[in-house]
Amino acid sequence: MLALRATNLTKQYGNKTVVNQLNLEIKQGVIFGFLGQNGAGKSTFINMITGLVRPTSGTFELLGAPNDSLKDVRTRIGVLPDYSTFYENFTALDHLKYFSKVLGLKTTTDELKQLLRDVQLEDAIDVKTKNYSFGMKKKLGIAQALINRPEILFLDEPTSGVDANSILGIHTLIRKIAADGTTIFLTSHNLDEVEKLCTEIAIMQDGTIQTQGTMEELREQHEKNITVHVKHALLDNDTRQHLQNKLSTLAKDVNVSSTHSTFIVQSEHDIAKINSYLVSQHVNVYRLEVEEASLEEIFLNLGSEIRSA
Amino acid sequence: MFAITLREFKSLFQSIRAILIIVVLFGVTIGSAKLVSQFKGQLSDLGLGDNAYIIGLMLLLFLASPLFVTSISHSSVNKEIESKTIRFLATKTSRENIIFGKFLGNVSFWVICLTVALLLIVPFSKSFPIVDLIQSIIFVSYFIGLSLFLSTVVNSSAMTMFVGIFISIALPVIGMWSLIWKNVIVDTLSYLTPYYYYTQENTAYTYLVLIHIAVFVIASLMIFKRRDL
Repeated sequence: MLALRATNLTKQYGNKTVVNQLNLEIKQGVIFGFLGQNGAGKSTFINMITGLVRPTSGTFELLGAPNDSLKDVRTRIGVLPDYSTFYENFTALDHLKYFSKVLGLKTTTDELKQLLRDVQLEDAIDVKTKNYSFGMKKKLGIAQALINRPEILFLDEPTSGVDANSILGIHTLIRKIAADGTTIFLTSHNLDEVEKLCTEIAIMQDGTIQTQGTMEELREQHEKNITVHVKHALLDNDTRQHLQNKLSTLAKDVNVSSTHSTFIVQSEHDIAKINSYLVSQHVNVYRLEVEEASLEEIFLNLGSEIRSA
Repeated sequence: MFAITLREFKSLFQSIRAILIIVVLFGVTIGSAKLVSQFKGQLSDLGLGDNAYIIGLMLLLFLASPLFVTSISHSSVNKEIESKTIRFLATKTSRENIIFGKFLGNVSFWVICLTVALLLIVPFSKSFPIVDLIQSIIFVSYFIGLSLFLSTVVNSSAMTMFVGIFISIALPVIGMWSLIWKNVIVDTLSYLTPYYYYTQENTAYTYLVLIHIAVFVIASLMIFKRRDL
């Protein structure tokens, strides 16, 4: 079953099209990462889906409910919107109690305190949010999004401005929530974070999705350089020179030393070719490691693909 | 909706301006009641009877309540939009609940204030003026609805303060002016103010102001539903 389906979703501000005929389907239970540069339209997309911004055209379905019936699903979603602030004279607990009542929940104070402990705010439960740091406000933002144990959780930049230790805690929490079956939709500028957390990724640029898939699928589609490290038997100088010359015709940046070789190929087929050649030359290969492209490389490759197109 | 009503109600009691308004309201009520009680006989001769006890309060409401209401309610919606606190609310509940919740929160605040103010008169009048209470609630609700409408239409809370003060002065002036000077424009404008209805001999006219209130609230809702937050 789909958690979200967007069809030709468009948002225009005056003459500027921020989200352009976007089509997207997200299955239930995935951690979906939404990547893009500033102004790509990620937050506007989330804002449309969560009812903060009205689409100019197009439709979407959230947990099976059409966009004109969002009322029916509000209690089943959790949202950490971008650029949002808290009531300065409320404590963290006051906020959770208030939002819980707004949602019509019968949550106990102990449950709300546990939620604040889950986001590592146990020491600031009764502190007014005007005294909170940016990172603490982010954590409270995550806590308020979890009050109703949502079926789908939208997190817009959940770790921006949060210290490194807390980021690890938030990642653990996100994995735990996802393991309980919650669909998570997160945007982030931290490519490493998206790569580690997300089971499916979409990259957005100029208001449209440029590519979407699992990390493996994205590598297949956009990986340009595969670095290969080979550990082999000791080579004499002649063999080493011969291999250096031959491999240079098949790969880039070839570096053959006496026991290790490194080279960069364009596709996995080239690895097979090189491996066959080494075997044919009676070079004993002990270990062959393929260094996979990171999301950062894919993101940069995609950017250059779009520019050249 | 009632969670928003309760929060709005509580937050009004916590503001300095609201506390000052309560002090003025109660002070004037007690003061006028004491004053009126000294001239009870003369007022009865004039046909004002027991109603004279609430004249002070009603006069205060007619002239100053527009200013009182707009000064504390002018930013109930746009301040939350400016500060972005609305973004948490709007993802948790419908926009209808936000608008109705805020309206009812403000009305509840004035219901309590006016009820207590009229209770303070009871020792002098020996009866509780329930009809006057209802009429005064309708009167302030007109300005609550107007303030809500302004805070939905105008983005800046500083601007709604300015516009609110201007309207709070202009409406009583138009209302009173229409009583003494007959002019088509002034007469037409006066139908838009509650003063026209509150100065008719038939007190049933005062209930027509409920239509104005409904128009303000529905218009606020329609505008708020179309806004990007």
